Amino acid sequence: MASRALAQCVRSLGRSSARLTQGRVVTRSFCAPLVSIQRPFSAISCNQRTKWTELIRISGSAGQPCRRYGDLPPLTLESIRDRVIYVLKLYDKINPEKLQKTSHFMKDLGLDSLDQVEIIMAMEDEFGFEIPDAEAEKLMTPEEIVQYIAEKKDVYD
Amino acid sequence: MAASSKTQVLSLYRMLLRESKKFPSYNYRTYALRRVRDGFRENRNVDDPKALEQLLNRGWDSLAVIQRQVSIGKMYEVQRTVVEHGEKKPH
Repeated sequence: MASRALAQCVRSLGRSSARLTQGRVVTRSFCAPLVSIQRPFSAISCNQRTKWTELIRISGSAGQPCRRYGDLPPLTLESIRDRVIYVLKLYDKINPEKLQKTSHFMKDLGLDSLDQVEIIMAMEDEFGFEIPDAEAEKLMTPEEIVQYIAEKKDVYD
Repeated sequence: MAASSKTQVLSLYRMLLRESKKFPSYNYRTYALRRVRDGFRENRNVDDPKALEQLLNRGWDSLAVIQRQVSIGKMYEVQRTVVEHGEKKPH
């Protein structure tokens, strides 16, 4: 990058000085070394550019195909269940000892509908997708949440 | 409370929480979340339709205020406080 900028600088300098020296023989002879300097610079920059593209090409083809963008391990029913229970245990109004897979949030755990909304939002944060209102209000037990998430994420084992 | 107003209240609650989470500044964010939660709990037993409508309108106004303040807050860089060090950035 630096060499390219330098080459461009030299080139424009040569051009402007060439324009200035139209008809002036003395300064043209002064200008000549500048122009000759310009060549090796651009040659260097060209070389470097080709080297770069080669480097990129080599690393692109020779390296084993490894994707560097975000990828999570595949979800399983078991991992979904663990994460759901983990999030629920962290919720301060739930007693972790009373929590069962099938316990009803309102009947068994004594929560209200506002808590249920918050739980569903915590699940949205944990699994990274939004649950529409109409479906969110039907999810009343941990197991129902697990089933819903598994269905949405296409997990069937 | 009628079923329709219950879903309305819950969806307003959800929207307020979701919007409050977007505050870039820690102090505003935690205050807004706490205030929304407390405000809804405070009035959980309101049955009078008139009072309910008034409260709902106040909620909608607050939602508009929060939305505006969030977008204003996003225009300026915030200094992260010590307590949120290492936390992931709110989005």
